[in-house]
Amino acid sequence: MSAAYQPSLKLLQDQEVLGELLHSLSQPLTSLRCSLELSIDEVAERQQAAVSLALQQTEKVIGMIQLMREYLDAEQPGSEAHPVALAPAVRTVAEELSSIATLRRIKIGVAGTCTASVPVPEPRLRLALQYLLSALIQAARANSEIRVWLEEGSSESVLRVECERGARFRDDGARGSRSQRDSVSGTLGKVRLAIASRVLETAGAFLAMEDGDRPGFVLRIPRWLATSSSPA
Amino acid sequence: MKILIVEDDTALSSFIRKGLEAEHHAVDTADDGEQGRAMALEFDYDLVVLDLNLPGVDGLSVLKSVRQRKSSLPVLILTARSRVEDRVQCLDTGADDYLVKPFSFLELAARARALLRRSHLPSESVLTVRDLSLDRVQRKVERAGRHIELTTKEFALLEYLMRNAGRRVTRPMIIEHVWNLNFDSTTNVVDVYINYLRRKVDDGFSPALIHTVRGVGYQISPEGASA
Repeated sequence: MSAAYQPSLKLLQDQEVLGELLHSLSQPLTSLRCSLELSIDEVAERQQAAVSLALQQTEKVIGMIQLMREYLDAEQPGSEAHPVALAPAVRTVAEELSSIATLRRIKIGVAGTCTASVPVPEPRLRLALQYLLSALIQAARANSEIRVWLEEGSSESVLRVECERGARFRDDGARGSRSQRDSVSGTLGKVRLAIASRVLETAGAFLAMEDGDRPGFVLRIPRWLATSSSPA
Repeated sequence: MKILIVEDDTALSSFIRKGLEAEHHAVDTADDGEQGRAMALEFDYDLVVLDLNLPGVDGLSVLKSVRQRKSSLPVLILTARSRVEDRVQCLDTGADDYLVKPFSFLELAARARALLRRSHLPSESVLTVRDLSLDRVQRKVERAGRHIELTTKEFALLEYLMRNAGRRVTRPMIIEHVWNLNFDSTTNVVDVYINYLRRKVDDGFSPALIHTVRGVGYQISPEGASA
């Protein structure tokens, strides 16, 4: 027991230390962001570009900190998380992302249904689905379709998402990594996928990414998840 | 309006104070929980901006005391805790809204305005900026008496801009409030939809109402952008 206990205690301590560090970072960053936002109108015009750039860079750092928080939180399913129905969550996220997909001339089609629920706080489930679908939208080629199927099996519900024509899914952001900007966005894309994977697998679902001609992912929800937070 | 800020980080507190004063609010500050609780209970405020992580008496205890004695006083929580459970606990304890650090001042100001509006005025069904009007009930938009056809997202975006008329809103604020998504700096969806709106709302009319605020975001304003 102690052999298993020690690593999990260490993990918990590491997470606490990281959480504290992020907490400490957020305080000065809030001051910095507010200060830049308020001073942008007050500085002389020739300095505005510099302040504006500083603000943009600060917001990038803040975005990374938020991702680190989400990554840390992803392994904590929430002690009182009520199971959230998967099908409506998928439809909502697909609808929310449809205007972004349309800009890239990509269509998202949702078909089928399932009764599965996932024991994770609803905003976190939506975040995970949002990150997975967003990555596919980024990877998909223009004028293609992302197909989403919900299926009910005898022992599990399945969410299949497939891109008709796309680049490699998991290397999404790493494409075109010639510039520093691309490299950063690639890293962030990978972190988002890692967050989605952590959220769903911590809740007991099984996520498999699929590359190849039709990149996408398959999420399997065992039936017991709807009624319990641990396997029988 | 009179606002109390309870925040132990004096640098942050002074920035928030400066920003809210620029919006013509009278602002008091307290830098620990005990002082904040005493001021909130003793004096009349229209809004309390309360940090959760305070030395001495913590923010949640201050919130509980305020709720017992002043049930209708709006409280906006500032917190570094982003977990869903923490947010639920804040709202269950009686907070009216919360903001996770590192927040944008523009977001704080917008939330403060929404809380003040909610507690003082009935919700407006028709929003107006100069000759542009948006009817939230009938979902109709007109400019200079001419009907403007908007898609659902365009309508939501225009409504958000008009609810914050005269004030700057950032791209992350727009994408979070209008699209209900986490902001991804690589997407240009906001800029594209602003262009759609400009074509419908500003093209052929004078003056232009939708303005780009360099380095910040956008603003709808009858007088022109501030930057």
